[in-house]
Amino acid sequence: MTDRRFPGISDVVTQESINAYAELSGDYNPLHVDLEIAAASEFGGTIAHGPISFQSLFRSLTEGLDVEALPAGSSVSVTYRAPVRPGDAVTARIVRPADESAADGALAASCVNQDGVTVLSGSVLLPPA
Amino acid sequence: MTSRDVDQKEHMTDTLSNIAFDDLVEDDRKGPYVEQITADLAGRLAGPIGQPHDVALAPPAVFPVIFLKALRASMGGIPAGSVLAKQELRFGEPVPVGESVRTTTWIGEKYVRRERPYVVIRFDVRRADGALAVSGSKTIMWPTGPGDQA
Repeated sequence: MTDRRFPGISDVVTQESINAYAELSGDYNPLHVDLEIAAASEFGGTIAHGPISFQSLFRSLTEGLDVEALPAGSSVSVTYRAPVRPGDAVTARIVRPADESAADGALAASCVNQDGVTVLSGSVLLPPA
Repeated sequence: MTSRDVDQKEHMTDTLSNIAFDDLVEDDRKGPYVEQITADLAGRLAGPIGQPHDVALAPPAVFPVIFLKALRASMGGIPAGSVLAKQELRFGEPVPVGESVRTTTWIGEKYVRRERPYVVIRFDVRRADGALAVSGSKTIMWPTGPGDQA
């Protein structure tokens, strides 16, 4: 069941946003920023830095909670499932697990691209309100 | 080639390390590395990446970046050919924009699963007064395994 507190934020990842992330992080791995080298790689083109696929998830959390920073005691744990490429629209989904008794209040989180492919999945734990 | 291209090429060599799996030492702490949470860094990571926003506190997306910067300082960055597998972040005290934070990194664990080598790199980010702001880990599928040369 979707947790209605958290909007389904979508971010379109572009080469410009990847370049901006490289500039901010200092991570200029050619797989992210060099079109020629990336094209010759197993990925066939540039891919986004892993944490870029986090962005819509973080935005959904902060907008849903109406905060700038996540509250103390929050945690986010994700597994990266698939690469994100320029042009992908990544949408965050935060849901309550079907079996709530199995969780310690953790929410299930995922980010999917425009084709429905899950690019990351994991869990979010928020402190009691 | 644009000036941005030139700038990127200049950064590439020190973005990628070539540390062999066998040379990684567990619990060998590196740092702390000091980094200021600037208004530019926080603002461009508060919304869609790169688009400036006016914020007073560091948004969560700042901390993977702070960790990447510390990783570059501690081990020259992530090795070429590595694959990011997992990431975990646990949030403590919020950090006001303008404050400098101190990041420590260390190898938490390294193991082989299904014939693939994995390295768990842990980190913590502390505020100027020492309070924990964020801790977490990044699990990387390493490009070399036990016995391999980098």
